[in-house]
Amino acid sequence: MKWILVILCCWLLPGIIWGAENHRYSGAETLIQDTVWEGEVIIDGILTVAAGVTLEIRPGTIVRFTKFDSNHDGVGEHEIFSQGTILALGTENKPILFTSAEPAPASGDWGAINMMVSEENNRLEHCIIEFGYRGFHAHFSKAELLDTRFRFNLRGAQFQESRVLIAGCQFTDNTNGLQFRDSQVTLSKNVIARSQWGVRCVYSDVIMTDCTIEDNLVNGINVRDGKLIAKGNLIVGNRRGLYVQRSQAEIVGNVLRNNSEHGIFLEDSDVYIGENRITGNGRAGVRWVNGKGKMTHNLVTKNGLYGLINDGTEPVDARQNWWGSDNLNLIALTIRDGQDRPGLGLTDYRDPLVRPLEPPNKRE
Amino acid sequence: MTSQLQFIIALAVLFMLLPCPCLADSPPLEYAGSYNEHLVWADQVVMVADVLIRSGGSLTIRPGTTVYVVPAEGTQIDPEYLSSQTELLVRGRITIQGTPQLPVRFVVQDRPGLETYAWAGIILDHASDLSDIAYTHIDRAEVAIRCVSSSPTILGNIITHCRYGMIIQKRSHPKVLENNISHGEAGVFCWLGSKPTLRSNRLERLDEEGLFIDASSQPLLDQNVIRYNEIGLASYNNQLPAGTNLLQNNRVNARVLGHQGLPSQSP
Repeated sequence: MKWILVILCCWLLPGIIWGAENHRYSGAETLIQDTVWEGEVIIDGILTVAAGVTLEIRPGTIVRFTKFDSNHDGVGEHEIFSQGTILALGTENKPILFTSAEPAPASGDWGAINMMVSEENNRLEHCIIEFGYRGFHAHFSKAELLDTRFRFNLRGAQFQESRVLIAGCQFTDNTNGLQFRDSQVTLSKNVIARSQWGVRCVYSDVIMTDCTIEDNLVNGINVRDGKLIAKGNLIVGNRRGLYVQRSQAEIVGNVLRNNSEHGIFLEDSDVYIGENRITGNGRAGVRWVNGKGKMTHNLVTKNGLYGLINDGTEPVDARQNWWGSDNLNLIALTIRDGQDRPGLGLTDYRDPLVRPLEPPNKRE
Repeated sequence: MTSQLQFIIALAVLFMLLPCPCLADSPPLEYAGSYNEHLVWADQVVMVADVLIRSGGSLTIRPGTTVYVVPAEGTQIDPEYLSSQTELLVRGRITIQGTPQLPVRFVVQDRPGLETYAWAGIILDHASDLSDIAYTHIDRAEVAIRCVSSSPTILGNIITHCRYGMIIQKRSHPKVLENNISHGEAGVFCWLGSKPTLRSNRLERLDEEGLFIDASSQPLLDQNVIRYNEIGLASYNNQLPAGTNLLQNNRVNARVLGHQGLPSQSP
C-alpha cells in the first residue's frame, strides 16, 4: 500500500526528478517522467523517452548498450528512442560516454541515440559516442551537437528532415562520417576524418565553415540536389575533396589540397568559386561538368594533370585566377576543354592574376 | 477397366519420364543484405541489392556462374554500405573461381534510362588477403574492383565499360595479373601507400589515364601493355618504370604529375 502511494506521488508531483545511478533498463521501457542520469547506466533493450519528457544526463555519466542482433545482420538494435528531449551536457573534463557494453566492442554494437519528431532543443555537448550503428540519428527533429566526439560508429550521425547545428565536433574513424537528407544543417569548426564518406547529403541546405575534412576514402564532402555555402574549410587528402551535384554552391576561402582525384568536382551545378587555394590534387584542381557560375581569384597550382578540366558542353568563366603563370599560352596547357576535345565547352581564362594570392585564412 | 488402368499407368510413367518443368524453370537464387556464413554461388544468381560479406564470412563463386546485378532504383539516398549503387562489399573472404573457359560474368539487368555505369562493382574493404578474383567479366561498374587495405590476387579478369578498372588504395598490395581493362574512363589507380604487383595486364582504349600512381604508392610493374589511351602513365616519378612494360601509342605516353600541365620549371 505504501508503494502504491509513493508511485502515485511520483505521478502527481510535477517537476520531480526520478534519478538513476548505476541503473539498468531492460527490454522495452519508457521514461514517462523527467529523468536525470548520472553514474553508470546500462541500456539492455530499447528505452523510449516519451513525448514531453526530458532526459537530462549529467557530466561524467557512462551509458552502455548491450548488443542484441535479432536479424543477424551484424548490427545491434538496443538504443535510446526519444520523442521527448535529451540534454546530455557533459563538460570538457567530465564528458558523457555512450558506448558498447561488449567486452570487445566493435562498430555497430548498438543502435543509436535516436530522435523522432523531437522539436524541442535537444543538445549533446561534450559527449563521446562510440561503437554505435548511427551514433546520432534523427527524423523531424531539432538538435545541437557541440564539442562531441563520434568515433568507431558505422555512421557518426545520420538524420532526415531535421534542423541540426554541429559545432566543434570530431567525427573520426567512422565508416561514414555524416549522412543527412532534407535537412537544414550548420557545420562549424568540426573535424571529419578517416571515413569512407566524410559528409554525404541530399536535398539539404548546408552552411559549412572552418571545418577540417581529411583523409576520407571516397569523398570528403558530397552535396547532391541541395545548397551549400562552404567558407574557410580545410579539405585535404580525400579521394575527391568537394563533390557538388545538381546543387547551388558558394565555395569561398577554402584550402583544397592533396586530394587523390579532384579538389572540386562539379556536376550540373550553379556555383561561385572564389579565393580558394586549390593545390596538389591528383588528377585536377577543378573538374567542371555542365555548371553555371564562375571561378575567380583562386590559386590553382601544382595539381596533377590539369588545373581545370571542363568536361561539359557549357563554357566556364575562369577569369582572374592564379594558375602558376600569367602567360596565357602556358595557362592554356593547364586547362583542358573544348580546345583539346572538340564538342566540349570552352574556358575563358583571360585576365589572369599576375601573382599568387595571399592565403585566404590561417588554416594552412 | 483394365485398359483404363493401363492408360493411367502409361500416363503416369510418361509424366515421370518428362523433365520436371518446375526444376527446369526454377528461378535463380536472389541475394541481398549482410552475410556472415560461407556462401557459395553457382549457375545463376541475382544480386537484387547490396551484398555484404562480413568479416569472418566468405563468398565462393563457382566457375561459369552468371551474377545478374539489379541496379539500385534511382540513386539510393541512404546507402546501406559504401555506395549509392548496388555493390558487392567484401570484408571477409571472396573466392571467384572463374577459368578462361568458364568465366564468372557480372551482368547488369538493364532497363530504360539506366546510366552507363550502373552498379558500384566489387569492393574489398579490409578483406582477407586470401581472396581471389579470377577470370570474371565485369561490365558497367563505377569501379570494377576497389581494394581498401586489401591484398587479394586478381587474375585474368576482363573489365570493360567501367568508369574505373581498379582503385587500389590505403596500403593495399594485391597481385594484379593478366587482366584486361578497356573502354572506360581510366584503368588502374594506385593511391595512398599502395604497393600492388602489376604484371602482364593490358590497359587499353581508355578515355583518360591507363595507369595512375600517386606519390606515396610504389607498384611493381612488369610486362604490362599500356596503349591507345589518352595518357598512358601518370606518375609523380620522373623516372618512368623500366623493364619490359610496353607504353606506346597513347596520345601522351607518360605525364609527370604535379605541374598541372605546365612545364616542370614553372612554379
